[in-house]
Amino acid sequence: MQLTYLEAISQGIAEEMERDPSVFCIGEDIGIYGGAFKVTDGFIDRFGPERVIDTPIAESAIVGAAFGAALTGLRPVAEFQFMDFLPCAFNQIVNMVAKAHYRWGAPAPLVIRGPSGGNVHGGPFHSQNPEMWFVHAPGLKVVCPAGAYDAKGLIKAAIRDNNPVIFFEHKYLYRRIKEEVPAEDYIVPLGKARIAREGRDLSVITYAAMVHVALEAAEILSKDGIELEVLDLRTLSPLDREAIAQTVRKTNKVLLLHEDVRTGGIAGEIAAIINEEAFEDLDGPIVRLTAQDSPVPFSPPQEEYFLPKVVDVVREARRLLAY
Amino acid sequence: MAKKKNSTKTPSRASGNGRGHGSLASRAAATQRRYAIPDYRLEKPEFTIRQVRAGDEVRYEIEGDLGAPAPPIRESKYLGKKQCIEIYRWMLLNRRMETALENLYKQGKVVGGVYFGLGQEACSCASAYALKPDEWLGPMIRNQGSLLVRGFSARDIMMQYMAKAGSPTKGRDASSHFGDIQKRHVVAPISTLGDLIPVLAGVALGARLQGRSIAVMTYIGDGGQSTGVTYEGLNFAAVQNLGLVLFVENNLWGYSTPADMQFRVNDLAERSIAYGIPGVIIDGTDACQVFDAAHEACERARRSEGPTLIEAKMMRMKGHAIHDAADYVPKPLFEYWRKRDPIARFENFLVNTKKWLTSQENAALIAEVERVLEEDRNFAVNSPMPTPESAAGGAYCDPGCHEIKPKYAVPRVKTAASVRRQTEAAVHLK
Repeated sequence: MQLTYLEAISQGIAEEMERDPSVFCIGEDIGIYGGAFKVTDGFIDRFGPERVIDTPIAESAIVGAAFGAALTGLRPVAEFQFMDFLPCAFNQIVNMVAKAHYRWGAPAPLVIRGPSGGNVHGGPFHSQNPEMWFVHAPGLKVVCPAGAYDAKGLIKAAIRDNNPVIFFEHKYLYRRIKEEVPAEDYIVPLGKARIAREGRDLSVITYAAMVHVALEAAEILSKDGIELEVLDLRTLSPLDREAIAQTVRKTNKVLLLHEDVRTGGIAGEIAAIINEEAFEDLDGPIVRLTAQDSPVPFSPPQEEYFLPKVVDVVREARRLLAY
Repeated sequence: MAKKKNSTKTPSRASGNGRGHGSLASRAAATQRRYAIPDYRLEKPEFTIRQVRAGDEVRYEIEGDLGAPAPPIRESKYLGKKQCIEIYRWMLLNRRMETALENLYKQGKVVGGVYFGLGQEACSCASAYALKPDEWLGPMIRNQGSLLVRGFSARDIMMQYMAKAGSPTKGRDASSHFGDIQKRHVVAPISTLGDLIPVLAGVALGARLQGRSIAVMTYIGDGGQSTGVTYEGLNFAAVQNLGLVLFVENNLWGYSTPADMQFRVNDLAERSIAYGIPGVIIDGTDACQVFDAAHEACERARRSEGPTLIEAKMMRMKGHAIHDAADYVPKPLFEYWRKRDPIARFENFLVNTKKWLTSQENAALIAEVERVLEEDRNFAVNSPMPTPESAAGGAYCDPGCHEIKPKYAVPRVKTAASVRRQTEAAVHLK
């Protein structure tokens, strides 16, 4: 059936709640209101207030309580109204939850999920891509789906995973992406990238909303006979090192694209991986195309300037191909 | 510091519906704004600690009277002879283990520092003693006695301090930073304070989803209660009516900062009013008062009546950790609290007041504690350090590493037909 990215996530969580009584949802305004973006719309009627728990505006309490419930063998799915608010619970996430298994052998099978990303004119506090704060915390897994099929399969895999997973949904994609999603149960394993488009000339390595930017650029360039390969990482932690190395070995030129800011973004890490795994295969410099190092500006012309665009990918790809 | 208390009374807002939404009647009662905070102490010291300039020096001085004689132990409503002696034994083990750790530190055998609960043994041991085996506890750094009561050995704690391969965290973390979700139901603390509060609330929430009303217990200090997560966690427990027993250990010092510079209320138990939960004040050096308050709070939790805040007043009788000589503490304060030593007074209560222990039995009990400690100390000292490579792995729970299943029972779920509400016309940030 055709599902939007948002419906796919919603359905994925609901199916896991049907399948496994130990799954429950906790977060702000997720009950009768159905969540700020309506991901849990109707859940409270369907599963009851015991399993769809509205909380005070207290992000540390949400994560702490989810962790505590996970210690008793449950699988909480905690919603953040915006992933920009993750820093409110930063200590719980990076010090309490992420370190638990390494320090004292306590598994923390919980999911922290919510909307991230820009291009919706949300301003500096409703548009961020804060994934790297968590990629830098060993013990956490970080997932950033780009399509409806993946979003459903990945949220189901995240809920079944025995580790804490930070699941970044891209709010620009919520209602814009519609894909065929099978009715039967499936998961998309964490840590496995996918080739979103095959090509021979140059690889664009990216994730989330930028996958669609890369695909549009690939479409434009293919009219000139240039074939981009688009690698959708899907999971930033763990990173699929093998898939990264493979695409570089194939095309020998690589453009790293992300909506996150430049310094400390995953592009730097991927460049280092290519250096370690496929240095000899490079026929040109590794090019980064990212947001600038600033907060996400509010006004549409400014936000457009801030975000990487299709024209930027086309321009940088041509420049790199000419190298 | 303890000051006068003019509170009147209110019925607790507890409701038995398991979700804690107060009935209209209890809301109406609440609007009368009458609050009671029972104070079980047998003395209510009247002094404050002030920062004053004396010549070229700024220091802390005591304002008030420190001359009162030490109060007796309050008769317990619940504890009998056997239980009192058990608690006394835990307290002895707690203190003597810490003395042994201090010696090991001086011998250079401890990695890092040592944290002491000197003067707080009654609070750690008698509180944890009120929990049942399948209930949960989250200790702070000074609650090493609580860990002993939950079934860890002095050997475990010593090995943590010496960073040994056989320590509960296999060398990966220090001190009381360890736990056990299988058997002893202890959540490992982290160094920052207040973070255990929402976690323990979550444990109670998890148990409730599995059909169990359990008591969960954790601690916060006069210093740690200043953190935001303390508010978030306790407020969450209150609105969700979770069986959290929160000991606010007012030991007068948050590292070097006195309680009087940490908060403005007279008693930290007053905070309970703002959470809409019961609060009580006890003498944290009196094991019977600690147990009785803990027991009553645990029973409330088991009846699904929600959280309780217990302020236990006492003093941290050493520095923040072994490196800290606590020179900032006015000397008379140490003398005052030394007279209120929880172990000496409990010993006197058992031997002289209740006559539950003869001097010979007491001596034998102490000798037995020493023997166990000596054995544990030798074992810990002689056990190997971890290999360097043992630092690798374990950041993630890999397949086959843990089986995740509900601790108490598979949650009973009620599922209604799938209903999709009308999505609003205006979608946030379309």
